[in-house]
Amino acid sequence: MDEYTIGVLTNVGLFTFLALSAYLLLIAGEMSFGQQAFFGVGAYSGGILTAMYGLQLPLAALGAMVLGALAATLVGLPTLRLRGLYFAMATLAAAEMARILFELFHFQIEVEGETTGPDGTQGFRGIRWVFEHGVEPLEYMALVYALLLVVLAAFLAVERSRLGATLRSLGEDPELAASLGVNVGRLKLGVAAVAGALAALGGVLFAHHNTYIEPRNFDIMLGVHSLAYALIGGLGTALGPLLGVALDIGVLEGSRIFGGARMIVFGGLVAVLLVFRPRGLLDERVVHWFGVRAFKRS
Amino acid sequence: MAALLAIKDLVTAYGKIEALKGVTLEVQDESITCLLGPNGAGKTTLMFTTAGILRPRRGSIHFAGKDITARPPHSIVASGIALVPENRLVFPHMSVLENLRAGAYQRSGNAGINADIERLMQRFPRLRERAAQDAGTLSGGEQQMLAVARALMSRPRLLLMDEPSLGLAPLVLEEIFRIIAELRRDGTTIFLVEQNAHMALKVAQHFYLMEQGRVTFSGNPGSLAEDEVISRAYLGTVKQ
Amino acid sequence: MLQDLLQNTLDGVALGASYALLAVGFTLIFGVLRRVNLSYGPAIMFGAYCATWTYLNFQAGLLVLGIVTVAGAVLAGVYVERLCFAPHRQGSAIAAMVASFALWMQLEEAATLALPKHLYAFPALYEGDPLALGPLSLRIESLAMLGAAGAISALLWTILYRTRFGLAVRAIIDSPTAASLAGINLPRVSLLVFALASAIGGVAGYLIVASHGQVTPMLGMWATLKGLLAMMLGGLGSLPGAVVGGLALGLIEAHSQWFLGPQARDLVAYLLLFALLAARPAWMTRWTSTRSAS
Repeated sequence: MDEYTIGVLTNVGLFTFLALSAYLLLIAGEMSFGQQAFFGVGAYSGGILTAMYGLQLPLAALGAMVLGALAATLVGLPTLRLRGLYFAMATLAAAEMARILFELFHFQIEVEGETTGPDGTQGFRGIRWVFEHGVEPLEYMALVYALLLVVLAAFLAVERSRLGATLRSLGEDPELAASLGVNVGRLKLGVAAVAGALAALGGVLFAHHNTYIEPRNFDIMLGVHSLAYALIGGLGTALGPLLGVALDIGVLEGSRIFGGARMIVFGGLVAVLLVFRPRGLLDERVVHWFGVRAFKRS
Repeated sequence: MAALLAIKDLVTAYGKIEALKGVTLEVQDESITCLLGPNGAGKTTLMFTTAGILRPRRGSIHFAGKDITARPPHSIVASGIALVPENRLVFPHMSVLENLRAGAYQRSGNAGINADIERLMQRFPRLRERAAQDAGTLSGGEQQMLAVARALMSRPRLLLMDEPSLGLAPLVLEEIFRIIAELRRDGTTIFLVEQNAHMALKVAQHFYLMEQGRVTFSGNPGSLAEDEVISRAYLGTVKQ
Repeated sequence: MLQDLLQNTLDGVALGASYALLAVGFTLIFGVLRRVNLSYGPAIMFGAYCATWTYLNFQAGLLVLGIVTVAGAVLAGVYVERLCFAPHRQGSAIAAMVASFALWMQLEEAATLALPKHLYAFPALYEGDPLALGPLSLRIESLAMLGAAGAISALLWTILYRTRFGLAVRAIIDSPTAASLAGINLPRVSLLVFALASAIGGVAGYLIVASHGQVTPMLGMWATLKGLLAMMLGGLGSLPGAVVGGLALGLIEAHSQWFLGPQARDLVAYLLLFALLAARPAWMTRWTSTRSAS
């Protein structure tokens, strides 16, 4: 496998965390335009921890996830009682504020003679932990997918459990859930925190894959993209977001045949797909059908 | 005589739940037909399906010989059917006058429309008093009058009414049913869903009983003892 | 100091007029379809690019360019409505929105394919000096924008309160089900409203681009963002609110930029929106109506 393909596959893997972040909130009934902010928080904090304070990547990733969860809780506390477009706009406002704050964020120190650190709109260079520790591109890709596998396994386990059913009921009929004794507010906040941590994990991996990040990476386009990944792949299962990212990044990157008209083709396909499958490719019906067949076979 | 409205084996579903499980009934021309039944029987679903708001999954609806199954709501109105919905559904932030004009949306000829508005104001004097007021500020009874008047603005041949008595004081109730009888005398056919079986049976020529998505009884007032009708209308039959 | 304040206010109102037009277009679509159209800005950008192409190839005059911008925006708008909103009318709002995002990508790529440079010059609306109002100055373009906003608002009011079509629009905004029952053809009115909103956006886009003398593909996202922001600030779903929200946004931006710098400008606007949404005062959500006038 050549380096280009490895790079593409790695991107698919790490952006899936962001897509899962949006997916989780969608299932719980909230549409967020702002998950890219937590992606950014993860990227910046992870980069700062490894490049400026010499932490090892695993620890830095953990720290980034904690910060992501914290930030998400902060945003979620005043906004989660909003529904629909109101919540979406609140998350958009929060995310844009974060991006502007990244633009204003100058924090540089000398590390081994070099100025390192976020430099506002100039970005944050030199996040080189991966290279300094001799991690090959293939190994990094394996790491990303190993983490993804763990997360997906956790998702699939939760989906089968009572918690998963409760979450879906939150999304479909919150009044009913509340009447059945579910603490809607607390559960949503928990979901938001987990979603924030997931996005942040994706961000750390992104920062170390790219070695350079800038505020522009975390704009609204990324946010709407993450929603699109989740929806196109399908809202029936956590594999949906992965499929969505794979389709968007993988197929789009791979098919140079369309030349400069890739988005025209892809965008059109997405719109047409949604006409026939408004809840994505792997929607609840497809997943149920798969489940029924698997059950029948056993 | 062929029925004005003929519904056959109508099935309407919400996702996997079938609210109408195969409804068959007829409404004769220039009559008042009443549909009774407990809550959740599917009466409102039937009204909405006939009015085109909901699409049926199977079955057919014929009006004056024409097939109107699954037609969009504006086409149903054009055919000559108007629905006075449950909960009235007036336009709360538009004036009483504008509500009436909206009802005449498909008509042309201001003279005719204005004449009808005048006539309806005479029939419903309370509406004349409140002509410039926002409909949302009207009382329940007044909104009911407005909803009926608005439906009448399209000069329907068949008027569907979904629980017009809901939440109304007894005096207003009497007025509504008086108007229903008057409308029939003036040539409008009425298909009426009612919880208040007692009042409904006083004006209807024919009635149906609907339970759990199906028609379970069809007859004239008097064919069943009234208290049996009423108990089945409110409570449904004992489960088989 | 007072002069700065007044000048900023003047500039802010002029800027706000363009935001108000964008917000009005958004609100029309949201009020009638209950959906957010993420392709609203991109459709306007598409119109502006059509005009740029016309200018580059035919050296057309200002009036022709204006017409081309509006026509292009309407064309793109109708395309978006047919593909993204008509099929999901009774279905998922999210699917409609994500579909509109997919078409945003399409429209942006189509524009950059036709005109690949990052920036194009656009004939300026007016080449002369700004108007002097005592110690204050007012650009002619700003005057044009204010005039357009005023004229379009008046036109819209006339349509909404003096025509049968306008009655239908207000009825749908008030209660879509009741409107259907009254015999109003929702799909057809929705399409026409979409076209109208796109046309209004096209006028705004033309004036914006002609005032700046340049056009970039970023216009799409910019217009969508500003329109959304202004719509929310004024209270979602209300047309008077959209105008107020647009003007308010313009004022907020003009003043914050002066006192706090360009980055703070956007920060303040977003912070205000976030705070408003978090506090959720009643006026923000109660303004989902149009008042009757007869």
